[in-house]
This record gives sequence, structure tokens and C-alpha cells, in this order.
Amino acid sequence: MKSLSLKNLAKTYFDAYKGEHVTAIRDVSLEVPAGEFVSIVGPSGCGKSTILNMVAGFIPHSGGDILVGGEAVKGPGPDRGVVFQSFALFPWKTVLDNVGFGPKMRGVPKAERDAIAREYLALAGLSHAADRYPNELSGGMQQRVGVVRALANQPDVLLMDEPFASVDAQTRMTLQDELSRIWEERRPTVVFITHDVPEAVFLANRVVVLSKGKVLAEVDVPISRPRVWDRLVADDQFKDLSNQVLALVRSA
Amino acid sequence: MERTSRFSAALIFVAPLAVLVVLWAVLVPALGVRPQIFPSVAAVGRAGIDSILDGSLLRHVAASVSRVAIGTVLAVLVAVPLGILMGVSRGVSAFVTPLMRFFSVLAGIAWIPIATLWFGYGFGAIVFVIFNAVFFVVAYNTLLGVSTIPMTLRHAAASLGAGRRSMLTDVLLPGALPNIVTGIRTGLGFAWRGLIAAEMIATDVGLGYMLFVARDFYQTEVIVLGMIVIGTLWLLIDRLLLVPLERATIERWGLVSP
Ligand SMILES: Nc1ncnc2c1ncn2[C@@H]1O[C@H](COP(=O)(O)OP(=O)(O)O)[C@@H](O)[C@H]1O
Ligand SMILES: [Mg+2]
Repeated sequence: MKSLSLKNLAKTYFDAYKGEHVTAIRDVSLEVPAGEFVSIVGPSGCGKSTILNMVAGFIPHSGGDILVGGEAVKGPGPDRGVVFQSFALFPWKTVLDNVGFGPKMRGVPKAERDAIAREYLALAGLSHAADRYPNELSGGMQQRVGVVRALANQPDVLLMDEPFASVDAQTRMTLQDELSRIWEERRPTVVFITHDVPEAVFLANRVVVLSKGKVLAEVDVPISRPRVWDRLVADDQFKDLSNQVLALVRSA
Repeated sequence: MERTSRFSAALIFVAPLAVLVVLWAVLVPALGVRPQIFPSVAAVGRAGIDSILDGSLLRHVAASVSRVAIGTVLAVLVAVPLGILMGVSRGVSAFVTPLMRFFSVLAGIAWIPIATLWFGYGFGAIVFVIFNAVFFVVAYNTLLGVSTIPMTLRHAAASLGAGRRSMLTDVLLPGALPNIVTGIRTGLGFAWRGLIAAEMIATDVGLGYMLFVARDFYQTEVIVLGMIVIGTLWLLIDRLLLVPLERATIERWGLVSP
């Protein structure tokens, strides 16, 4: 577990069709201490994915610094685990081999990485699916595997870009319950991107509201843990905070 | 359940061929067709038995199949790594795609004249023709396969710690496999046709040669026997080798080949 620190981060894309430069991120500074869960919310197009892709190292940044545990980020690496909206599981690998992929890249022997993968699969109640292929699983199950695959590699920071946006509402709440429980058990550093305000508030220690490539506001979420939807749906503090964040997002 | 459906699938596949044989058996005597024009079923059957007994059929089949096997394996071994290398770089892939298309179309038969000039008559020229038929199609399809792998999969692998080598073996190769199999299937089709044509010109053994010599002696029963063997061998290669390969990989993974 390490901290993540963004200092005056900026990103300008070159739009090949228009033939002009587009500023997606103007100036974003953000501190995520080790073991904290931060959600970033904002309307579509405000630059959420751009931030995450820069932190993951998938695209270069145009200005500022990205530091993980004080060290500058250069390209993608196993210190930053990523969970994708499209799951991005390897269709040609079984669930077990998908989850064991990170350890395999570190040179962990087969028997040992299978044991690691099984341990993490058990964490998400997925033991029975170990020998299946991703296409044999429902969307909700696939994304559980996606989360578990990232966790099993023990990243310093976990990056999630709208990971539950493409599963049905019922399953989404279950996944949120599970992610909350897993976070409470393991305390990873998480940056969670979503446009769903209740989701952001439910999961996070702190919600960052993004607007037009800048941080509009930060809202602390001091709701006690463990958090489960059964309790929080009717919780006044949760409702107040959600409304507060919603108002900010609307004004964005 | 599984077994009966397999069986009925095989039956549906064989039935049209059986109808064709029955038509042939009825029409040739009914219309009084001369054997120099088209042989009877019995004559072809006899030619088949004779050529099996004297070992000549086996010799021709072995020569043809080994040429196809060697040419194809060599071509796949070179084409797949090259296709992957071309596919990972957008610039290279854009540059070579038109070339690949051009040579895919030329694949096989059109190379026979120049192959005989370069390699003389015999094994070298024929294997070269087959290599050509398979190489361009497989390289092009591999390139296509690599460029259709979703970027997120490469990102996922990279952020799980994959280096260049693992990216190749664990992501690009399996990701391109549906296209590679399609390429091999198409290429083998070209190769098989190219082989027969090349053997008519450039050798003294093989199924193409068998057809060509039989023509000189008006042995229509040998010609038809050869045609049947050529078609049957192709179906066997396709059904017993390529289709199971697809089942074990592409279909299991839920990918579809284009
Ligand atoms: N590859 C790109 N080229 C040009 N403009 C881009 C590119 N990716 C994103 N943008 C632009 O940057 C802005 C932010 O996009 P994005 O980070 O995807 O937003 P969000 O994830 O919050 O919906 C948008 O205006 C989008 O059109
Ligand atoms: Mg986005």
C-alpha cells in the first residue's frame, strides 16, 4: 500500500479530426494517502478517464507530476492495478489463470500462483468458477474476477474506471457491498471513478468532484464502517452527503 | 445426445455426396457414355483397388501430402511471428497491408512458372509454391488478428506486469489465433490447389502428376479416382485437423472467427 499524489496534473489531446488541441485536464492536484479510498465523480466528458489513464500510465501526461509512494510514474506497471469497465479479462485463460496472471508475470511458480489465485477467488466467493472461461460467466461474475485479478497482484494503488457501470442495478449493489467489505479487510489505496453519486459516497472515504478538467470540491465521507446497503439506504448521514455531492455535480 | 447429433451431422454432410455417386452409377450406363469421356463407378473402383495394391496411390498421396505439410509448416512458422511484429506497429501495419493483400491474391498458382525457373523441376519448386500460398494469407490474417485485439486487453496485461515477451505469448498470439486459424484454412485451400497444378508441371510423382499422366492415356477412371482422392483428402484435413482446432480454442473461448 502506497500513497498517490497528483501535482498540477494537465493533459492536452491533439484532436486529429479537428486538427486542434483539446485541453481535457487543466490543473488537478490530489493527495490520496496510503490505504484511503477516494472516489472521483463528475459529468461525462469532465476528464475522469483521462486522469485514470494517465495514472495507470496508458497515456502520457502533458504537465505536472504523478507520484506513487513518492516515485514518478513511467508507463504502466504492476504497482498500479487497474479494473476496467469492460472487464478486460483474457478470453483464452480460465478464471484461475486470469487471476494468477499478475503473479505469473512476477515469476511465481505455477503451484504457488494457483494457490494465491484460489485464495483471492475465495475472497469474492468465486471458488466454484476457477476452471471456467470468462465467456461462460455473467457480467457481474466477470467483474468480480476483474477486481480479484487486480487485487491478487497486490498493487500499491488500485485504479477503477466505472467498473460497475455495465452490470444491472441489482448486481451493482451486491458488487458495491462486496468491494466495501474487501476494502475493509485489506485496506488498499483506491481511486474509484464513477458518474454515480450514491456509489461514490457509499464506497469512499472522500469524494472528489471534477468539473471541466478541474477539481471543483472535495467532500469527506465520515460514515462508519462496515458499510452495507441494507443499513445505508435509510441512513440520514448517507442521504445528506449524497445530496450535497449531487448538488455539486449538478452545478459542475 | 452428443453422439447422435454428431452422427446425424455426419450423415447430413455425406448424403449429398452419396446422391452424386448414385446419379453417376445410374446415368453413365443409361446414357451410354463412352469410357474415354467418363468412366463407370465400377471402373474407378477397380482403378482404386489396383493402385492401392501396386502401391502407386500411396506413393502419390504420400508425396503430395508431405509437400503440403512441409510447405505449410514452414510458412506458418515464418508468417505468424512476422504478422505479429507487423500488427503491433500501426505504421508498419498500414504500410504492408496493401502488399499483403496483393500477394494473397497472387498466392499459389501464379508463382509456378517463376518457381520452376528458380528451383528447377521437383520438390523445391513445389514446396515454394505451397509456402507462398500459405505465407501471405497467414501473415495478413495474423496482422489483422493482432490489430483487432482490444487495447484494454493489452493495457490490462501491461498493468499486471507483462513485459514484451509475455505480451507476445500471453496476449497477442492467443488474441490473434482466431484469425490465424482462418488464415491457415484459407491458405491450405490455396496450397492444395496450387499443389495439384504444380505437380502437373514440375514433378514425376504426386496426385497432380497422376492426373496429368492418366490424361495422356485416356485413363478417365484414373483421372476421376485422382479427383476423388484430392477432394476427400482436403475434406479430411479440414474436418480432422482444422475444425477440431477451432473447437478446442476459439469456440471454447467464446471468440468468433471473422
Ligand atoms: N484520445 C482523445 N483525443 C481527443 N480528445 C479526447 C481523447 N480522449 C478524451 N478526449 C476528450 O477529453 C475530454 C475528457 O474525456 P474523458 O476523460 O474520457 O471524460 P470522462 O471519463 O469524464 O467521461 C472529453 O472532452 C473528451 O472528448
Ligand atoms: Mg470515462
